[in-house]
Amino acid sequence: MLIGNVGFGLDSTSGEVMEMLAYVIRNLLQRLVLLFVVSVMAHAVVHIAPGEPSEVDPSNPRLKPEDVTKIRAAFHLDDPLHLQYVYWMRDLLSGELKSFKDSQPVLPKIWDRFLNSLPLFVTATVIVWTLSFPAGIHAALRRGSVYDRSTTFLAYALISIPGFFFSYLVILSVVELFGVPVIGMRTFGMEDAAPLFRAMDRLWHLVIPSIMSALVGVAILSRYVRSQMLEVIGADYVRTARAKGLEEETVVYTHALRNALLPFVTMFGLLLPGLIGGSVIFEQIFAWPGIGRLGYDAILARDFPVILTINLIAAVLTLAGTFLSDILYAAVDPRIRLQ
Amino acid sequence: MRLKRLLLLAPLTVVALLVQSYFWVPTYESQAKANPHRLRMFIESSIGDAKILNPILNADTASSRIVGLVFEGLLDLDDNLQLRGRLATHWEVGEDIYLLVNPAARFDDGSSITPESLLDRLRSELLAGTSAEDPSDPIRAIELLPPEVRRQTVEVPGSEAEGEASQVEVQLTLPPRIRFGLSRVVPDFLDRIRPIIGERYEQTLPRSTWVSAPAQIMSAIDHARLAEMLPVLEHNPTLVFHLRHGVRFHDGHEFDSDDVRFTYQAIMDPRNLSPRTSDFEPVKSVDILDRYTVRVVYKRLFSPAVNAWTMQILPEHLLNDEALGREMERRGLSSAARATFGMRESVFNRAPVGTGPFVFEQWQSDEQIRLRANQDYWEGAPEYSEYYYRVLPDPLTQEVEFRTGAVDIYAPQPHQIARYRDDDAYQRFSSLSTGYTYIGYNNRRALFQDRRVRQALSMAIDVDEIIRYVLYGEAERTTGPFPKNTVWYDPDVEPIPYDPEGARALLAEIGWHPNEQGWLEKDGQLFEFNLITNNGNLVRKAVVTIAQNAWRKIGIKCNTQLFEWAVFLEDFVNPGDFDAVVLGWSMGADPDLYQIWHSSQTGYGQLNFAGYRSPEADELIVAIREEYDAERQRTLTRRLHRVIAADQPYTFLYAPLATRVLDKKIVMVNPDGTYSRIPDVKSGDVFYSFNRWRKLDHVPRF
Amino acid sequence: MAVTAGEANARQAPGEREMEQTTAPHGGTLAGEFWLRLKRDRLTLAALCVLALLVVAALAGKALTEWSTVFDPATVRLMDKFRPPLARPAEQLPVPDRPRFGIYLLGTDDLGRDVFARMLQGSFVSLSIGFVAVAISLLVGVTLGALAGYFGEIRFGFVTVDTLIMRFTDVMLCFPTFFLILTVVALLPPSIYNIMVVIGLTGWMGTARFVRAEFLSLREQDFVAAAEVLGLPRRRIIFVHMVPNAVAPVLVSATISVATAILTESALSFLGFGVQPPFATWGNILADGKAFIFDAPWLFFTPGLAILAVVLSFNLVGEGLREALNPKLRRV
Repeated sequence: MLIGNVGFGLDSTSGEVMEMLAYVIRNLLQRLVLLFVVSVMAHAVVHIAPGEPSEVDPSNPRLKPEDVTKIRAAFHLDDPLHLQYVYWMRDLLSGELKSFKDSQPVLPKIWDRFLNSLPLFVTATVIVWTLSFPAGIHAALRRGSVYDRSTTFLAYALISIPGFFFSYLVILSVVELFGVPVIGMRTFGMEDAAPLFRAMDRLWHLVIPSIMSALVGVAILSRYVRSQMLEVIGADYVRTARAKGLEEETVVYTHALRNALLPFVTMFGLLLPGLIGGSVIFEQIFAWPGIGRLGYDAILARDFPVILTINLIAAVLTLAGTFLSDILYAAVDPRIRLQ
Repeated sequence: MRLKRLLLLAPLTVVALLVQSYFWVPTYESQAKANPHRLRMFIESSIGDAKILNPILNADTASSRIVGLVFEGLLDLDDNLQLRGRLATHWEVGEDIYLLVNPAARFDDGSSITPESLLDRLRSELLAGTSAEDPSDPIRAIELLPPEVRRQTVEVPGSEAEGEASQVEVQLTLPPRIRFGLSRVVPDFLDRIRPIIGERYEQTLPRSTWVSAPAQIMSAIDHARLAEMLPVLEHNPTLVFHLRHGVRFHDGHEFDSDDVRFTYQAIMDPRNLSPRTSDFEPVKSVDILDRYTVRVVYKRLFSPAVNAWTMQILPEHLLNDEALGREMERRGLSSAARATFGMRESVFNRAPVGTGPFVFEQWQSDEQIRLRANQDYWEGAPEYSEYYYRVLPDPLTQEVEFRTGAVDIYAPQPHQIARYRDDDAYQRFSSLSTGYTYIGYNNRRALFQDRRVRQALSMAIDVDEIIRYVLYGEAERTTGPFPKNTVWYDPDVEPIPYDPEGARALLAEIGWHPNEQGWLEKDGQLFEFNLITNNGNLVRKAVVTIAQNAWRKIGIKCNTQLFEWAVFLEDFVNPGDFDAVVLGWSMGADPDLYQIWHSSQTGYGQLNFAGYRSPEADELIVAIREEYDAERQRTLTRRLHRVIAADQPYTFLYAPLATRVLDKKIVMVNPDGTYSRIPDVKSGDVFYSFNRWRKLDHVPRF
Repeated sequence: MAVTAGEANARQAPGEREMEQTTAPHGGTLAGEFWLRLKRDRLTLAALCVLALLVVAALAGKALTEWSTVFDPATVRLMDKFRPPLARPAEQLPVPDRPRFGIYLLGTDDLGRDVFARMLQGSFVSLSIGFVAVAISLLVGVTLGALAGYFGEIRFGFVTVDTLIMRFTDVMLCFPTFFLILTVVALLPPSIYNIMVVIGLTGWMGTARFVRAEFLSLREQDFVAAAEVLGLPRRRIIFVHMVPNAVAPVLVSATISVATAILTESALSFLGFGVQPPFATWGNILADGKAFIFDAPWLFFTPGLAILAVVLSFNLVGEGLREALNPKLRRV
């Protein structure tokens, strides 16, 4: 989303490689500064807000206030803010940052959860990208038809429905109709079943959550495909192709679609932050032990190191994503370099 | 067109692939078909994940559940909440008493007291005519100890100007002392030797000559504090545990008395920040008598002490400094990390090793904890070969998974229980637990200082209606501070009746009259306050709304708010900055109420946050701690119950039932190999007989 | 998939800028033409009707539940809990506790409160969360965007105003939005105003970039140049001549933002960080009703479908406005 902020107006007489390199370095430096500001802001917001990490259970009548004081001291909670920031960064970079909640190192913790979220993210992305194109193209070719109008309406309905409302409806109907488990990453107690059964079981548990989290994506992307197609179909070169007497299918799928697809290439970069953004809501509903739930539980427990680190990684991925997208854009669209 | 075909085929393939996986997933009926091993696995579901699997560090229910399966204590509570030996086969309670020899005192006959003369007199009076085996006489030994120098830290109240109390170390030069060895605890021992040492023995004790400290500190130490530092008689109750032989930790190392002492030391080690230090604070020392015998000496009379030894035992060989040093080496930590490295940071807390019936296998955060049966367990291996603790953060999904057979047991919400009650397909277990829910008033606030106000507030709430409609009968009314399923609770205390008219009349007595809008007013002041509770508990949320509505009906304006747990504690409960709260206690089985009700416990972050102060209750609380006779202790607790119930610092609402629903195929295996229905529970712990549970491949008929 | 959503919106911006260049300077006939086009779009009209109904319901809700208690959303009647829609109250229920018209139009909840009264009360709160949050984000977004667009070249030391503002926008875009909202709402004391402000303050970036781009192009337009030559005061140029020309597309995105804000509130409620009692919102009625879906399905469906209808209407109206404002589509 940072496209357009970075100057592409490079001197066309010097070597293109050098141009590109200079651009990349400047761009990266800018992003590093941004990242620093983001981390300082996040740190300040989290620490200034009221509420302290509490790993102590006060309904336990045997806990003394001295213990709470000791815990606070151990986590540097009474040091000045900038020192806390330094401690955080130092520990993060040396890989020794520990969670307040269970004293476990933060990075491996996030990595584990990331691996859990990954299949969900990949499946959802596959669904979004395979479903949106046929749906969108079809709607564009039949602009104004019943199909077009009903998919438009459906797309808006999918964007408008509260995700957890719809998910619970689907979960309950599936369980009611078929009586199979749908929550979590797999059915428990399958560890000793044949590998094929286990694999299929895992796949089944991906189906509903990934469809649920893909719905909004499908709605938006198919609408976008449709409008891109409409734009391209009206373009002169497509009319020329038609005028040449080419078959309609060839015109649409070879000439029009190729060009309509161009901007989508850059979107791959922007997928990156989705890797960690995950979805708090869907992971909570489906008891999916991914990054979203890690973040949610960290928020509940005021586990500052985990909250801040997830935030930072998300920022890194956002920046990396836009960077990639800028590069891809430049690579795909020659006009940008000629500007 | 290839592209067109691809565009159509791709989504179709994806969808087909996803949908076909449905046919591979087992339903409840077919769960053992492709997978017979399923019957040997037990899957329990919980809302929250464990935090730290170390018995001396954990403080949450999920962790204690797992810790309870992997570890064992010296003792535990049986189905009737009585202590039972586990890692200890049996134990003895005794006492050492130390008497300061007073050089300034005289016997009643006028002769002066020397250490030797006192010793002779005591021996001849107390030991004469009894044999060592006589059970009615507890005195086993009397001996003289030489003078001794000891250093001790005392808390000195600050000057008027500064106000801060400070800790100072002073030197005590103890005179000769006489030690009595007793085979049981005799709290009133002083009364027994009074005829021998004389009435004035204590008053003439020259205590200040035994303390050496700078002058300004001496002046700050008053009489009462001196008496506390140098009691004429020091009670040192002792517990001797005889450990079970041949018990092994899961790694094969044998359990012995070193582990017991190590566990105690680990709890008291300030680096570990154990939340259990207060349980063991009265311990003076833990001594190893031999490999299988441990003696615990207490600093003072403290009858609940023995309950603390339900604390699970850690393996010393995996957690002592040497082991931790090796771990640091292995993990290659930086010097900064080494400086703060301790038990809290050890990997042990995520892969614990204990002596319990189940062996830790794997922990995947927010998903599951997996244990397997300890084939080597001293009481025989459990029936199940694997145990899963499955985290499902939402009661609705728990129910859904339970009904599809992907969970064997869970703790349903009251409204769900109501449905299971009419459902023959599941077993259900309910019993009182050691907790209760209450509305706590801030007794420091002027509004609530009159006990009649608190009584009137209690009278306005129809607790029976709450139990019936909100909890669906899954609770019992409670009237006082003790868990309802213990003998400490006084069943004769009548609950405060629901009587809004009476409440109004009672308030009118103190001058609260309705104004034109119907709100109660006194001296132009509205009867208005805030009722708060924590977020995330459906029943508490309902109680808040019901109380608000009930009080509105008698003209009291109550505003309600829910706060997130951490904020709720930090901003309101800990500083005591609230009007009224809805909360619950989950208590131990012992009768010690010092931390919740004693007037000394009202400071920041302490548990008497309601600010309850009653000299009568204080006295009873201390007396209960020092009483070793169960019968007399019960009389005291019931008296305390009545005192607190009459004061109504809380509106005691209800004691919830602990309820679990369980797959009907699960039965209990009898020693003779037959099986029977899982018995009903009395103590609130449905898992009491868990090691003998087994899942059948069909629903049994009984 | 919020990422793709954001992306799609971001990518549409340049297209709209082009279209705006052709329409901006005119003014008079635009409204009429716009209305004509809108009138032909029946779906949008229907959605507009729903929204009108909603506004009426919200105002009525405020009036009938708070100013004068015609419908009482607060009375707890435990003996009448979980009564289905259109049920009559129990015989034993004391007379002052009885619902209006002696009937529970939409049933009762787990404490026997009248769901219809609560929905009515909630409509005002939900709607005001949406409107206030969007108003905040518009205020911030338009101000920053206009500053960057118009005064962008002014320098403070080595950075221009434009760089400063746009970098700040970039910083804000780096935060994962929902996670940030969740963190802040969880850390702050629970209050309806905090929720409005937080949703508002995390949603202005799109508007800011968009308004900036708009202003950059408007500055080059003849009518602005003419105004500058005439020596009109800056404030007048910005607010009288430029802002109105940028307003139409902003309106489109604002309409859609209201929908997003209502959804965000319900998601927060689901996670337990939503608006606290005594305020009822559709989001928290839905989140509370979820637990009782087997016992009292109406507690779940009523607010769920209401949210769906309203959010859908906002989205459709937004889309209708976009289409009606887009001259390109008119041509096709």
